[in-house]
Amino acid sequence: MDVEELKKRIEEALGGLVKGIEEGKGFIDVIVDLDNIVEAASRLKELGFDHVKSLTVIDYPKENRFRVIYHASSYLDEELAKYIVGIGADVPRDNPRMPTLVYVWRGVEFQEREVYEFFGIEFTGHPDMRPLLLVPQLAEAKPLRKEFIVKEEPIIRVKPPTG
Amino acid sequence: MSGDGGRVYVGNLDRSAKRAKDLVMGKLRMGRAVDWATAFSLWPVHLTTSCCGCEFAATWSPRFDAEQHGALPWVGARQTNMILIEGTVSKKMACAVRVTWEQMPSPKFAIAMGACAIDGGIFYNSYNIVRPWEIIPVDVYIPGCPPRPEAVARAIIELQRKIRQKRVVSKWIEEGWRPDKEYVAPKEDPCSWWRG
Repeated sequence: MDVEELKKRIEEALGGLVKGIEEGKGFIDVIVDLDNIVEAASRLKELGFDHVKSLTVIDYPKENRFRVIYHASSYLDEELAKYIVGIGADVPRDNPRMPTLVYVWRGVEFQEREVYEFFGIEFTGHPDMRPLLLVPQLAEAKPLRKEFIVKEEPIIRVKPPTG
Repeated sequence: MSGDGGRVYVGNLDRSAKRAKDLVMGKLRMGRAVDWATAFSLWPVHLTTSCCGCEFAATWSPRFDAEQHGALPWVGARQTNMILIEGTVSKKMACAVRVTWEQMPSPKFAIAMGACAIDGGIFYNSYNIVRPWEIIPVDVYIPGCPPRPEAVARAIIELQRKIRQKRVVSKWIEEGWRPDKEYVAPKEDPCSWWRG
């Protein structure tokens, strides 16, 4: 199975849900509407994509949106295991909420918690929406958003002792 | 001690016997023996904060065998007297480091290992790290990213030299606090996030 055939199979499976397919060297990103993402993800799972490899977010402050992308792949289907397919949606920046995909792919539970603490995107319906790695005070500052400025530390030069 | 053609050198036995006799007869101060004993029983607590822990493990592996210096990693904080900070300390880990430090019985010592423990290393300018010297008093720093096991062994020897030459432990016991180093208290509670 080559990439074109994979694309065709995905478009067939998702039907009218596909908003756009972004293709690059070695990857396919399927973009859907935010309301349809649970439906689209469960259809992808039926197709054979049985786990999520990573969950990533890109912040576009000028366009006032986040792009959330789940990278799904397969363990059981040998043909699909060669590919990683991204399924993504745009989340508005002023109301960062999206439905959780925990009940489609169980493995994204901790990754969604991580996204929650670093970007402040709330996953509605998530069973345990708490910060994962950061201390709660720091998670409130949402450190991976573009507007978070890290305090610059000066480089201190110490004079070597004479004699 | 070193093996050389099947022979093992154990030092000057006559001299050691004389010093032991002096000690028992009261001619030598007991403090010297305390310093000597502590220097060869530095037991680091097994708290691995970061990736330098691999080098920490290699240091006590058969090839580098840091146990020959009398140091043996131990699990429980209450049976140890040395803490080896391996690399970065994140804000959540700072709480664990300080709690472990408080649990250890005095006299106790700290070695900070790796570039991250000195000034942040690759995490310089980060929002989620704490420097170890902000939370506990550090005796010896080991530079490197990560330091070789030889460097860790060197730090243990350096700490032994410090203990025996400056008579840190005997003075510590006599005076009740450590005379040659300031007590370090964290400026802000590292566990505040935990208590809510």
